[in-house]
Amino acid sequence: MAEASANSPAVLRGRHDFPEISGRIGSIVLSGRLPRHFWTAFLLCFLLVLLLLYSITYLIAVGVGGLGINMPVVWGTMISNFVWWIGIGHAGTLISAVLLLLRQPWRASINRFAEAMTLFAVAMAGLFPILHLGRPWFFYWLLPLPNVHMHWPQWRSPLVWDFAAIATYATVSLLFWYMGLLPDLAVLRDRARSRPAQLFYGILALGWRGSAYHWARYQVVYFLLAALATPLVVSVHSIVSLDFTFAITPGYHSTIFPPYFVAGALLSGFAMVLTIAIPLRWAFSVKDLITLRHMDNAAKLMIAAGMVVAYGYVSEAFFAWYSGEPYERTMMAQRALGPYAPLFWIMLSLNCGVLQLLWFRRIRRNMPLLFAIAVAINVGMWIERYIIVVTGPSRDYLPSDWGEQSLAWLDFGILFGSIGTFFALVFLFIRILPAITIFEVEELAEEEGKIR
Amino acid sequence: MSLYGLMAVFAGPEALIAAARGMRERGYRRMDAFSPFPMKELERILEIPKTRLPWAVLAGGIAGAALVYALIWYSVEIDYPINVGGRPLHSWPPFVIIAFEAGILGAAFAGFLGVLAANGLPRYHHPVFNAESFSYTRGGKFYLLIEAADPKYRKGVTRGQLTRLGAELVEEVEA
Repeated sequence: MAEASANSPAVLRGRHDFPEISGRIGSIVLSGRLPRHFWTAFLLCFLLVLLLLYSITYLIAVGVGGLGINMPVVWGTMISNFVWWIGIGHAGTLISAVLLLLRQPWRASINRFAEAMTLFAVAMAGLFPILHLGRPWFFYWLLPLPNVHMHWPQWRSPLVWDFAAIATYATVSLLFWYMGLLPDLAVLRDRARSRPAQLFYGILALGWRGSAYHWARYQVVYFLLAALATPLVVSVHSIVSLDFTFAITPGYHSTIFPPYFVAGALLSGFAMVLTIAIPLRWAFSVKDLITLRHMDNAAKLMIAAGMVVAYGYVSEAFFAWYSGEPYERTMMAQRALGPYAPLFWIMLSLNCGVLQLLWFRRIRRNMPLLFAIAVAINVGMWIERYIIVVTGPSRDYLPSDWGEQSLAWLDFGILFGSIGTFFALVFLFIRILPAITIFEVEELAEEEGKIR
Repeated sequence: MSLYGLMAVFAGPEALIAAARGMRERGYRRMDAFSPFPMKELERILEIPKTRLPWAVLAGGIAGAALVYALIWYSVEIDYPINVGGRPLHSWPPFVIIAFEAGILGAAFAGFLGVLAANGLPRYHHPVFNAESFSYTRGGKFYLLIEAADPKYRKGVTRGQLTRLGAELVEEVEA
């Protein structure tokens, strides 16, 4: 087990006992006594949910012309939002699956909400390709269903692979999350005092009773699901990047895209983990369960992923030049100096510049500063997705056809609406389900000898 | 109401392990232990057989991938063969991508449903819930259950053995 030296703070702080751990985590949900500003913050998010519903209604009623897209740039914020949200989901799977396989003890207190974050981010991401369709009510044509046209999906199209990947990812994440929740739902069932809560958690817990026989099978299958989720998470963002690379559009057609997208996903995902975890541990006083060690490690992973992303930027620029293709070169020059130049340089200064602050331990351990950096990286990563999506088509092979897209209120309505909906779901999750995995924290406390 | 077994309550994981080992040595076979988190030692002491679920997961993965690949093959070769830009009808590399995703989906479903089926869940009524003292984790207690169907089970004797092994409380559980 990890040594708690002066340099690396312990995974768990202080001494605990089992009723205390399950009671503290469970009471956040069961007592319903939430910090003062919880519902204020939820209300703000709820207003954004309404904004999202209004924007979607407007989009469906008026059509995609309501967005700022126009020929030749017909992929706009819907696709950038999609790639951004999917990326955010990936850190959750990485924390819950890869760190489980690597038996990293620091995973236990943050995996639950990281998985929840994955689910909600995937739920948000799934909206955008559908809204982007123009006639969203026909999205089911991507499925091999017998329908009135008696046609089949085009299996050779990355858009169909994308649909398969996202649907699989959402389903497997849900199964993995629910399986991890089962023992904790049983804890809540047994601790709940009100009849409705007992019924609610009791039905969801499926009668889990912690039998040694059950645990033996449970652990084997939980590990297997983690082992399945790991290649899945890499395949999902790689397939998302194939949506781009399969086109010959300048700036899209590049073999660096799959690893570059996966690294970008991890960067933005860990930034979002920190964006949620820092207020969470402060608001619910669980600083001894989610310790500085977690924050520090997440920040280190951010810089690791961020350096791969920086390599991706360099590689894109280098191969645009090395290809000798005038259109590739022009696109890259226009990206840095053309109409999208301000966004491009903001992106570089956030994702490559601000990120470097994380090399310093003092900054990684300074929570307000780390929070600010995480938010900045989230913004930077959104801009990155936007730059990738729009600069390519805006400088296509037909110079007479070059043009930019604008951003309409609807673009922002849907973006901020989805952010609000995501956080509203996170708030509801914290209210209804245990945000920290009770049984794994207890197991960890036992293994580390932190039991009184 | 018939008797299902004896439920012994222990204060900590070490006490439960010691007691499970002790009862095992005394020849009891039909036992079960309940703990708020998984305990590796119990698997050895109770001689829990290695689960065959990994094979179910593998089969689910292969079935998912094979079924979807077969569906694609059927659609492009038999049901609706259409020449797109001179590409072969059976252009397998893109099909493998979808089959891979379907394989993961099949394996995950096989694993999740398999573990529920093997554990007999969902099951909302189980005799252990009849025990007054049994609360899965409220008090952070650890439980050992000796079934009355165990050939070694003798009412007073078993209870005495459990108490001597350090049980805080021994309770009869109705079936």
